[in-house]
Amino acid sequence: MPGCRHEAVESLRAQIARIEQRPALSEAASRQRRLSGPFALPGGLLHEVFTDERRNGGAALGFALAQARVLAGPERPALLFVQLRREAQDMGLPYGVGLKSFGIDPDALVLTRVESIVEFLWAIEEAVSCRAVAAVLADIANAPGALDFTASRRLSLRAQAAGTSVFLTRYGKGREASAARLRWRVAPALSGAVAFDARAPGAPRWRVVLEKGRLPAGRAGTEFFLDWTENGFVVVDSSTHEASPEAGRAPSPRAVPAALGDRLPQAG
Amino acid sequence: MRLVAVDALAARAGLTVDQNLSDARALVPNLEAREIDPGFLAHGFAEFADWHSYASPIVAVLAEQAPWGDLCLDITGVAHLFGGEEQLLATVTGRLAALGLTVTGAIAPSIGAAWALAHFDQGRVLADDEVDAALGPLPVAALRLSEAQLAGLSQMGLKRVGQLYGRDRKALAARFGASLVTRLDQALGQAEERLVPRLPVAERFAERRFAEPIGLIDDVLMTAQDLAIQLALRLEAEGLGAQSFHLFLYRVDHKVMRLAVNAARATRDAGHIARLFANRAERLVAEYDPGFGIDMIRLAATSTSPLDSVQLGAFETADGARDLDRLYDRMTSRLGPLAVVRSKFVNTHIPERAVKLEPVVARTPDDPAAAPDGRLPRPLRLLPSPEPIGVTAEVPDGPPAGMVWRRVRYRFVKASGPERIGAEWWQPDHEFGAPAPSQLPELPLSNRDAEAALPAGFAEGAPVPSRDYYVAEDDGGRRFWLFRDGPYGEAASPRWYLHGFFA
Repeated sequence: MPGCRHEAVESLRAQIARIEQRPALSEAASRQRRLSGPFALPGGLLHEVFTDERRNGGAALGFALAQARVLAGPERPALLFVQLRREAQDMGLPYGVGLKSFGIDPDALVLTRVESIVEFLWAIEEAVSCRAVAAVLADIANAPGALDFTASRRLSLRAQAAGTSVFLTRYGKGREASAARLRWRVAPALSGAVAFDARAPGAPRWRVVLEKGRLPAGRAGTEFFLDWTENGFVVVDSSTHEASPEAGRAPSPRAVPAALGDRLPQAG
Repeated sequence: MRLVAVDALAARAGLTVDQNLSDARALVPNLEAREIDPGFLAHGFAEFADWHSYASPIVAVLAEQAPWGDLCLDITGVAHLFGGEEQLLATVTGRLAALGLTVTGAIAPSIGAAWALAHFDQGRVLADDEVDAALGPLPVAALRLSEAQLAGLSQMGLKRVGQLYGRDRKALAARFGASLVTRLDQALGQAEERLVPRLPVAERFAERRFAEPIGLIDDVLMTAQDLAIQLALRLEAEGLGAQSFHLFLYRVDHKVMRLAVNAARATRDAGHIARLFANRAERLVAEYDPGFGIDMIRLAATSTSPLDSVQLGAFETADGARDLDRLYDRMTSRLGPLAVVRSKFVNTHIPERAVKLEPVVARTPDDPAAAPDGRLPRPLRLLPSPEPIGVTAEVPDGPPAGMVWRRVRYRFVKASGPERIGAEWWQPDHEFGAPAPSQLPELPLSNRDAEAALPAGFAEGAPVPSRDYYVAEDDGGRRFWLFRDGPYGEAASPRWYLHGFFA
């Protein structure tokens, strides 16, 4: 009975917050969800983003960031990146200028550089329980034994309770038992053509396999080729490797994509 | 070699400070002499001094006279806590004497008078109007004078402090130096002398003394929580919040341990403060050593600023910014301030210098001119220091056709560039003429070397010569950012480096 009352109070609080302070918020939120295209996933899930080799680190981080960007909004402004300090030279640090080119507000992404796997898990858990964090991106190249089913179950429960998503970027072909709701296998793919310059690399393109979990209704299949455009993900036809016509416009990732999502709250 | 200090036994045998060691040995054949280690003594004495902040928050070490210093406490307004000044003096000297130390002390209205009494008429407690009379019969050495001044005074037959009273000040100053007059005035309380406190003076603190010493870190943290509640009530009554909190643990064996935490914004939330200390302690757990126990804990707040009352209630709306600040506080207290960082843009074209990693809890204002251009191709991940690679190109000046990185060969199918990023000749550290020697690593670089020379953030070196950056995509779709260090022609074969990865 007390739990029931607690839930009622919680929902009332959320309603009041919506009415009093942020009238444009619900509309903006729905708009953002629509913008996110094929993967309109809610927050509060533990994702595992696997890639076969460590040299694919850029692609894995890009895919995780692309998913996390949809979750960030005025209510949950922050993204957190967690990495072991000793892996920074090996894997590279997220680069502010590059984040801006990619469409992420560099000011929103806070980097956390931990010393050990214990601190790594602690930092994720601590960040997940904060209401203002949209997503935690955790990057670990050498997965040690501490990252077992118990740890992932813990993270999964915390994420579910707080509504913060966790993207655990991992490397290698081995898969162990985990409580993650979704497991992706990401690999970079040859990019599409750029207008007027056939020799230049195009928009980021990933070959994504959903190994575990289920996408929301209306989206069949488990393997996609995705392009990153200023509007979010665009599914590419896997037979021709050409962007589907309903994508509307040519991929152009470098035109400050973040401007679209936030216009309404700024006006309000 | 000379004697710097003698104990009571040696003094009775006729030894004096500043005596030649061989003379002393001749006088007392079985003399036990130890060489002085000033650094060790000063350190040990400073620890003692800190520990004495249990009695009074303002503790200083006067280092001019003795080789290690004289301990000086400002006991204004604290004597009643110990049941009077005599009791206070007895407690402080008694605790040290119980350790087997020879200690002398005195209480007087001025620092100079207290020093004189402690050295020549110990154990006295002087009131304001007794200073002249009490100092009169003491030898002039009680005035903290130099050797030359003492010798001069004794030649003139001025042996007692009282003989200096009422003499012509100008004549004294001309004969013995102005410092004699100053010292006399300081001793008599006519000139001001200030203490330099060793510890930051906190006006707001809460403390607890234990009848039995405690040792477990959990007990310490529980006490810290209690103290945080007391301190929070006090801060609330004054309408203040604080950003820095210091926890002093006074050990029975005369050492003080200090824990400090900082909050990103002023706070007086006891739960939050206690949690920060718990995180901080978790980080220090290997260094925590309570010795024989802790008999007093003090929690002090500094950097206070006004903080308005907040309404707490059922229909409080979530304040995300506050939550975020608290999260950063907690993470910083556990992981260290340099571990939780944000990207701050610097107004420069050099890629690794364009972003500085700055602690989130110590934000500095952004430079609006430094905001980067989002249209330039920049990688998502940047290597903290660029890694040397071997590159093949179809034509010397053309885009790269392949590379060898970490002993793996890559074949590029697409490439765009170059984007030339030149040296910043308008910067003061730029050298004209010959291209500056690059700070980039040499070619044979194994992973182990890279681990050993791990930079704190992105590498910052000397001015760079111009670089030509290319975006290259290999046959697996991986996109790299690589550059040639300097143009063709100047060096025989310019070196290539890998700098980042695109999504």
